[in-house]
Amino acid sequence: MPIDKEKEIERIKEVESINLAREEIRDEVIETKKAVEKDNELLANRVHQKFKDNNIKSFDIVGAIGAGKTALLEKIIEKISSQYRTLVICGDITTRVDADRIEKHKAETVQINTGRECALNAYHIHQIIKNKDLNNYDLVFIENVGNLICPSDFILGTDKRLIVVSTTEGEWVVEKHPMLFKMSDIAVINKIDLKERLGTDVDKMISDAKKINLKIEVITTSAKTGENIEKLMNLMGL
Amino acid sequence: MKEELIKIEELIGNFDNIEKSDIKDLMQRLFSKLGNRLEKYVGDYPTFIEPVYLEDNVKIGDDVLLGPNVYIGANSEIQDYVEMSNTIIFENVIIGENFKLENCVVAKGSSFKFNNLNMKNSVLIGETKSKDELQSKKF
Ligand SMILES: Nc1nc2c(ncn2[C@@H]2O[C@H](COP(=O)(O)OP(=O)(O)OP(=O)(O)O)[C@@H](O)[C@H]2O)c(=O)[nH]1
Ligand SMILES: [Mg+2]
Repeated sequence: MPIDKEKEIERIKEVESINLAREEIRDEVIETKKAVEKDNELLANRVHQKFKDNNIKSFDIVGAIGAGKTALLEKIIEKISSQYRTLVICGDITTRVDADRIEKHKAETVQINTGRECALNAYHIHQIIKNKDLNNYDLVFIENVGNLICPSDFILGTDKRLIVVSTTEGEWVVEKHPMLFKMSDIAVINKIDLKERLGTDVDKMISDAKKINLKIEVITTSAKTGENIEKLMNLMGL
Repeated sequence: MKEELIKIEELIGNFDNIEKSDIKDLMQRLFSKLGNRLEKYVGDYPTFIEPVYLEDNVKIGDDVLLGPNVYIGANSEIQDYVEMSNTIIFENVIIGENFKLENCVVAKGSSFKFNNLNMKNSVLIGETKSKDELQSKKF
């Protein structure tokens, strides 16, 4: 491929919109986008197979910035780290803050800093597990980069995907972000301890989630008070 | 970490005997001790899968993916679209655009001023502007 075409495709990938492609190369841009998605799916399947071959239960946790993904993981891992050998992969633009928080509860962690990318992809996960002896783990959690948009483009090859939102984002957050709710198995509405104070209509959030995805399990939790953490673990089969 | 780096550097100085050396074990040992050092680079925001250790003044281009297990020596330059894992780059090296290195060691002062190279399990040395002049040895 000529270098200017390559550069153009890179640019389009960056802004993530084929609408901006010049007419002459529009087809090629579309093909590239399709190929990227297909490659990710193939790799995700390979990742999932490896987890299954090693009897590992795996979860991918997506959700809004600051909704409490790490806080929930801390609560869960605190309860189970003596029972399951756990690997936690944390995705963030930068810093090792989340991995350090998790490590306090005696789970092994790997931090990925995505730099300018707003989601983890299956290739990242594949690179990590390629360098690990998966015999050493019973459980893998992957905390995606916090946002409700980009992770919908990339499945990671886990058994289940959890989506976490919270009462602080307002009761419209679910209906505004249907894509990730469609592709998740469990929806967690966290910070339920703040519901009264904020006056958030949590019932609306629950019914929105169920409208978007008939099969989704919805649970309200508080990582602060510990409310419903055991129930969430039951839903996850832990 | 320094101890393994010094030994690896000695080994690759004896280029012809690399296959028979214990370079693989040494690399494993280095990677098992490798921590993160990510603050001191110049350039774009790459993706890092830890551990990645960057000495001072490493330059990094756009859309680069480093890790897991990458060590890069001082003043080395990593150009756009490069991807590396389980790889050691010594100091004052230039790695051209779109190199993909897995389990490689690049000797001090090497400069590869060309694009597109896919290498695994090799030591690379040289100052070249084309793929044909590159010296490499599998291990
Ligand atoms: N009141 C209350 N605060 C919570 C709860 N869960 C998390 N928090 C607080 O919310 C803030 C963000 O929590 P994190 O666990 O870092 O959220 P996150 O989703 O991992 O955030 P990112 O990884 O940055 O996207 C922290 O100050 C937590 O202490 C909760 O259930 N109730
Ligand atoms: Mg977090």
